[in-house]
Amino acid sequence: MAFKRQSAQWPWQGLLVVILLGLAIGLWIATKQVHYEWRWARVPQYFAYQEEEPQTAPFAGTVIKISPAGDASQVTIQPESGVQPVTVTVKTATLKVADGAQVSEDDEIGVLRGDWRIGPLTQGLWVTIWISFVSGLIGMIIGLITGLCRISKNLTLRGLAVLYIELIRGTPLLVQIFIFYFFIGTVLHLDRIVAGIGALSLFVGAYTAEIIRAGIQSIPKGQSEAARSLGMSAAETMIHIVLPQAFKRVLPPLAGQFISLIKDSSLVSVIAITDLTKSGREIITSSFATFEIWFTVALLYLVVTSVLSQLLFWLERRFARSD
Amino acid sequence: MIEVNRLIKIFEGRDYVVRAVDDVSTRIAKGEVVVIIGPSGSGKSTFLRCLNGLEEFDDGQVIIDGIDIAGSKTNLNAVRREVGMVFQHFNLFPHKTVLENVTLAQRVVRKRKAAEANEKAMALLTKVGIAEKANEYPSRLSGGQQQRVAIARALAMDPKVMLFDEPTSALDPEMVGEVLDVMKQLAREGMTMAVVTHEMGFAREVAHRVLFMDAGKVLEDAPPARFFTAPNEPRAQAFLKQVL
Repeated sequence: MAFKRQSAQWPWQGLLVVILLGLAIGLWIATKQVHYEWRWARVPQYFAYQEEEPQTAPFAGTVIKISPAGDASQVTIQPESGVQPVTVTVKTATLKVADGAQVSEDDEIGVLRGDWRIGPLTQGLWVTIWISFVSGLIGMIIGLITGLCRISKNLTLRGLAVLYIELIRGTPLLVQIFIFYFFIGTVLHLDRIVAGIGALSLFVGAYTAEIIRAGIQSIPKGQSEAARSLGMSAAETMIHIVLPQAFKRVLPPLAGQFISLIKDSSLVSVIAITDLTKSGREIITSSFATFEIWFTVALLYLVVTSVLSQLLFWLERRFARSD
Repeated sequence: MIEVNRLIKIFEGRDYVVRAVDDVSTRIAKGEVVVIIGPSGSGKSTFLRCLNGLEEFDDGQVIIDGIDIAGSKTNLNAVRREVGMVFQHFNLFPHKTVLENVTLAQRVVRKRKAAEANEKAMALLTKVGIAEKANEYPSRLSGGQQQRVAIARALAMDPKVMLFDEPTSALDPEMVGEVLDVMKQLAREGMTMAVVTHEMGFAREVAHRVLFMDAGKVLEDAPPARFFTAPNEPRAQAFLKQVL
């Protein structure tokens, strides 16, 4: 008789489905309770929309013919002063005049759909992505330098690194952003974007520094001894031997740090940077689709962080080749 | 080739002071193979590590090929290029292939072109009998194979001296032979070698001189024939009785 027992999985799968369904029903009942009217149809236009161009009558006259062509209509207007009639094309749905109607100069006849425009949600998403990317990159460089200073033999470098790390880790990011923008930003005349990126970079740099320090210290001493015994300098040993191995080891915590950074970047909306969060807030003031927009914003953050986390997972597996 | 004068290395902890190397003086001539033996904790590894400056010593002098390694104007990295070292735990670079392990320092330190470094590496890997593993990562190799790669890596720098720090101590018994064979071949080719080992057979067969260390001091310095048959020191006699 085999000692290994196979336990049935289906009751647990069933339970999982029941719990998820229960949560969904609960959510639905909750929104019913507050009499919330869902207007999901309002959301897509905030990703991208077609510009609307109002078409007006070029002169006073009479509409003599309306000929539909697809979802557009051609409105022909005969001027009072007897010259050639003019044809104006508008969307049929927006048509404001009837056949035989009198129009004055500049009267709106209808609307013509123009070019596609990028909506505020897409713009905000883009701002969030590039601010996070730039801050992550700068933070990484700061973290690497600080991490190296942190384990340096030089007391000054070590002291400065410890002070910086403790200052950043011991204060809230929101406060750091305010200080960076209102104090440092004012003194140095910094643009709000620069201030935002600066605050985020310094924040992520402090955490990255500790991760990198731990990574470097986790590499066995024998590795640098072997490199030094071959005549490599301390810097060459760091670049060719220690850092590549350390980087591979700290990739999972670094990934977590960058995913946090994307989410933390929402705090720069407090200094009026129109990132995804601020765009969401602005849209709500005009659309009143509060629940829909916040859910959409949350979903967008989720998409970005999932993509990043997949990307880093892939990188991790590539590095595992030598194991 | 190597001259050691009154070398002292002290380890100081919170409540202990160990004189790991205590007033050691010796010379190793060009082409000479010197084996250093002694009980564990006798300071033989520390002594060896002082010879290429991996361990900073407290007092005394180490002169390699006429250069005082502790001299204020000495470029220690330049000295280390000429002194190869093989470690007990191999210390291969796990993120580099076998070939890259052997070419890296050639390219970085000796500034050799890729083709030249690869050629040199393949020749050495062939010499230590492991050329067919050139593109594997070290983790795929057995201990004996890793140690032979480590020897090839050190030899790739064209060292004038080779230091071996218990090169077979971490190996399974059946792999000791293959590493010792490579070392014997090196000795026959006239390489200057300082070897810390517990392999008495190797000492007897290959060494020109045996140094016996205990408590940081060199107690015996004799050709193997005399050391293994008639040591002067009672501690050497006791040690040999235990290991032979």
